[in-house]
Order: sequence, then C-alpha cells, then structure tokens
Amino acid sequence: NSPAPLPERAIYGFALFLGSWFGFILYLIWAYVPETWLFSLGLTYWPQKYWAVAVPVYLLVAVAIGYILLFGMNMMSTAPLNSTHTITDNFAKKQQQKKFQEEAIPALRDIPISEVNRMFFLPEK
Amino acid sequence: SCRELAVRGPRLQLRSLSAATSAVWLAAYGLFAISENSMVLSAAIFITLIGLIIYLHFVKIDQESLLVISSLGIQVTSSYASGKESTTFIEMGQVKDVVINEAIHMQKVIYYLCILLQDPEDPQGVSEVVPLFQSSKPRLDCLIEVYKSCQEILEQRKTPPQSS
Repeated sequence: NSPAPLPERAIYGFALFLGSWFGFILYLIWAYVPETWLFSLGLTYWPQKYWAVAVPVYLLVAVAIGYILLFGMNMMSTAPLNSTHTITDNFAKKQQQKKFQEEAIPALRDIPISEVNRMFFLPEK
Repeated sequence: SCRELAVRGPRLQLRSLSAATSAVWLAAYGLFAISENSMVLSAAIFITLIGLIIYLHFVKIDQESLLVISSLGIQVTSSYASGKESTTFIEMGQVKDVVINEAIHMQKVIYYLCILLQDPEDPQGVSEVVPLFQSSKPRLDCLIEVYKSCQEILEQRKTPPQSS
C-alpha cells in the first residue's frame, strides 16, 4: 500500500480530472445560460436556478458550523475537574506489579499521583 | 494538630461595578429613547439592584479556606461577598490524600489542589476527586505551600497520637 505512482492511479487521476472539469462546466452552463435558450435546445428538466446559489451557501455555512461544532465537541469530551479520569483510567487500575529485580531497569508502570506529588513538591534533603 | 489555610480572592472592584451599572443604565436609556416608555427606566434600576444582590450572594466568593484536623477530617469553607458561608466536611477515614493535580480547563492546563477520597472496596483506588479553591484558582507557588502544609498534618494521622 505504498503511495508510489502506478499506471492505474494515473488513469484514475485523469478520469477524475476530466470528470470534475465536465461537472464544473455543466454547473456554469446551468447557472448562467438563460432558461429560454436551454428550453429551445430541448433541455427542460433542470433543477431551479435558485439552487445554483443556495447549495454553495449551504456548504460554506456547514463548514463554518463544523469549526464551531468540533471545538464544542472537544470541550464537551474533556473530563471535568472533579472526575477520576484526570488521575487514572482502566488500564492503570488493572496493571500488574512486576517484581523488583536487582541491577535491572524497573518495569514501566503508571506511578500513582501521590507518589509523583511527593517527588515533585516535597524535596527530601 | 490542626491547621487552617485560607486563600482570598480579589475584592469587588469599584470600576467594574460602575462600568456594569452604567452599561445597563445606558442601554435602558436607549430603550426609553426609542420606546418612550418610562417603565424601562424603573425596570433597569430594579434589575441593577437585584442583579447586584444575587451576584454578591451566590457568585462572588471572597475567601476559601481549608481547615485540616489530623484526627477528625478536613473542612472546606467558601465565604461569599454578602457574608454567606458554605462549608463541607470530609472525615479523615474517607480522605486518601491531598494532591496537586493538573487538568485541562477551558483551553488551558491548570494546577489545582484536590482531595482524593478513599474507595471502600479497593484500598489503592480513588473513588472521588474533590477540587479545592475553585473560584480563586491560585497558582502553583501558592498551591505548593498549601500542599506542604497539608502533607505535614496528614502524616500525623498515620502515627498514633502520643499520650502526654
């Protein structure tokens, strides 16, 4: 699954490029060419031209609301100050204490907050 | 033995009080100029007075204090600007430790002092966290002083009291 260029990827890219240009030209024709000209060509079943302006505006407002929504969701999922999630979690509660071996590096574990505080704020002489 | 540690918040400033009052009265005068209804002015005076009383009695905390008695427990008192005091007492059997914890609060990481309550089933676990000094939110240097003081008292509860 490397991101290297492949012949299939080149074909997909070119097809998407042509497709997006076609879609854009079609959108411009629909938005700008007067209805009478389109009717005279026999193309009568188009959506209302109101949507040519409404859909981009809807999308931009949705993006702006998305910024605010993401910010709000982040704030909501932050643990409040009085919850135990600021101190520990399920993995830390269930951790096993490995036996202390001489001359070996101690095993990695979650140090309880009381111990950490003592080390930081009560300097032993 | 026992110790009491108190943190005082800033007093109500005269300039913020006058700024808020002027803003409300200017808005009311603007409404009066538009609507020609004089009840707007008396309503504004009423709102200012009631709002000030509610703020002083329910919102503005002047001093928060922590009373640690090693054999009995910990008492947390908040005194409001109107003179109201609300206290909470936690007995020593439930207190596991008093620590300085860091947490994310409103796009900042703050240090705050909190009491860890013991979980009755699990001696190593914490059942509840009680944050202290929530309205004055002192900074780390003040918290370290309070922490050291509390730890000295809490150490005395493990050693049985010597009879003199």
